[in-house]
Amino acid sequence: MICFDNLSKRYPGGFEALRNVSFKMEAGEMAFLTGHSGAGKSTLLKLLMLMERPTSGNLLINGKNLNRLSNSQIPMYRRQVGVVFQNHQLLLDRTVFDNVALPLQVSGYPAKEIGRRVRAALDGVGLLDKEQQKPMALSGGEQQRVGIARAVVHKPRILLADEPTGNLDPQLSTEIMALFRRFQSVGVTVLIATHDISLINRMQLRIMRLEDGELTDDGGGYGGY
Amino acid sequence: MAATDNSRGAIGKNLSFAHRWRGYKAHHRETLRASFVKMLHEPMQTVLTVMVIAIALALPASLYLTVDNVQQVGSNFESSAQITVFVNKGAKPEAIEGLEKKLNGMAGVTSVEYISAQQALLEFKALSGFGSALRYLEDNPLPAVFLVQPMMEGEVDLVQTQKIITDIKALPVVDDVQIDMAWLQRLHLLIEMGHKIVLALGITLGIGVLLVIGNTIRLAIESRRNEIIVVKLVGGTNAYVRRPFLYTGLLLGLFGALIASIMLFSCLMWISSSVENLASLYQSQYRLQGLGITGFLSLMLIGGVFGLGGAWIAVSRHLRDIEPR
Repeated sequence: MICFDNLSKRYPGGFEALRNVSFKMEAGEMAFLTGHSGAGKSTLLKLLMLMERPTSGNLLINGKNLNRLSNSQIPMYRRQVGVVFQNHQLLLDRTVFDNVALPLQVSGYPAKEIGRRVRAALDGVGLLDKEQQKPMALSGGEQQRVGIARAVVHKPRILLADEPTGNLDPQLSTEIMALFRRFQSVGVTVLIATHDISLINRMQLRIMRLEDGELTDDGGGYGGY
Repeated sequence: MAATDNSRGAIGKNLSFAHRWRGYKAHHRETLRASFVKMLHEPMQTVLTVMVIAIALALPASLYLTVDNVQQVGSNFESSAQITVFVNKGAKPEAIEGLEKKLNGMAGVTSVEYISAQQALLEFKALSGFGSALRYLEDNPLPAVFLVQPMMEGEVDLVQTQKIITDIKALPVVDDVQIDMAWLQRLHLLIEMGHKIVLALGITLGIGVLLVIGNTIRLAIESRRNEIIVVKLVGGTNAYVRRPFLYTGLLLGLFGALIASIMLFSCLMWISSSVENLASLYQSQYRLQGLGITGFLSLMLIGGVFGLGGAWIAVSRHLRDIEPR
């Protein structure tokens, strides 16, 4: 599903954020991406979102080379990917419902279908009763769950999460990881960037570790920390 | 739960074209409505922008109406422009009859009226008040006259009229031909100049409208930067992002044109009674020409096009810079 083939990213000014990174993720696989800040986690996710283009190497999604996508094809690609942002990126002047509906609206879904799917997604994260609230009226954990609902409402094949448990207490973190597990169980490829070691240690998952832009560790098991 | 549905895949596969088209139309309606609501939420900004646009549209439009009305007045006079043909004194009645036939047969002549020397004398006596002075003259000093009405369809054809005059001059027994064309020519030049001023003013203020709308849209884009980024991140196309701003520009232009029309209409109502009084002094049935339905629709069209154009310029300049980083 996801295939990094000897991929490097150098920013103007010479900073090399990623160096010869290669790995593969199968459809329905779930993995952690870890490493200290500045190691290249964000850059890797940005490349997957086509917010950045690689300097060299190939990035294949479902067999398609993203290098060959033109800028006008980017929106279509992004509709197949769901992203949970660290700062959740919710629109504060819109209701929870409207925030979650956004990916469907930009894809041109009819209103009835949008209502059905948004409620299903909100039900999935346990926030069905908050659909008419504004994000500011919610707690941090609830805001993060709205972000997750928005990331999965259009049934993406790939789910990316950037520090999804950043500011949450362990219990909320566990709940959110359980949500990700459920998406994985229905075939979604889930990649979670985090440096929350306790979280990683609690779950038996593949862990990819980045150090100064290089993939130094790629394997399963209980952390290794 | 959204993700438990196993019929996943590319979105395009589970959305029919008809569904997409309906969604697309619904989105346009929704965007229009949302743009309108957003404008109402910033009433001061909206009112100011609309008023600036309205004034910028009303100025050239009112000048255009003025020129148009002057032209109407001019054409009223033009239709009464007559060519006076003086017949040689001592011309034989047969020769005069022949001249009348020739004048009637000329192209571009609508009617010919003959006034004999005696008739002219009687008219002069009756109208001038110098009747008694004529008694001291031995014979009738006045020549026989033909009043020739050249054809005038709408705009007077000065070249054509000039040609008629030359032709008449060449006819036998014609002594002299008179027409007061100089002031008509001046009027025409003035109207032509007026049209050019309208055009120049229109272009200048049109650019002003583009800039005003462009600036308003630029501010709107800036204030919604975060929203644009999120929309792009979840797969919104550039067209999708552009749409609300284009609708805002269109609405601003249309409202500006509407207010401009109302301003022009009020002004005309205010002036028209004075014009009617003035016209009645000249025994004229003249009435001020307003915008009319065509003028109103043209103004709306111009407002809409400029609104959309200004928004387009702003959007194409500023939206590309906003990319998720």
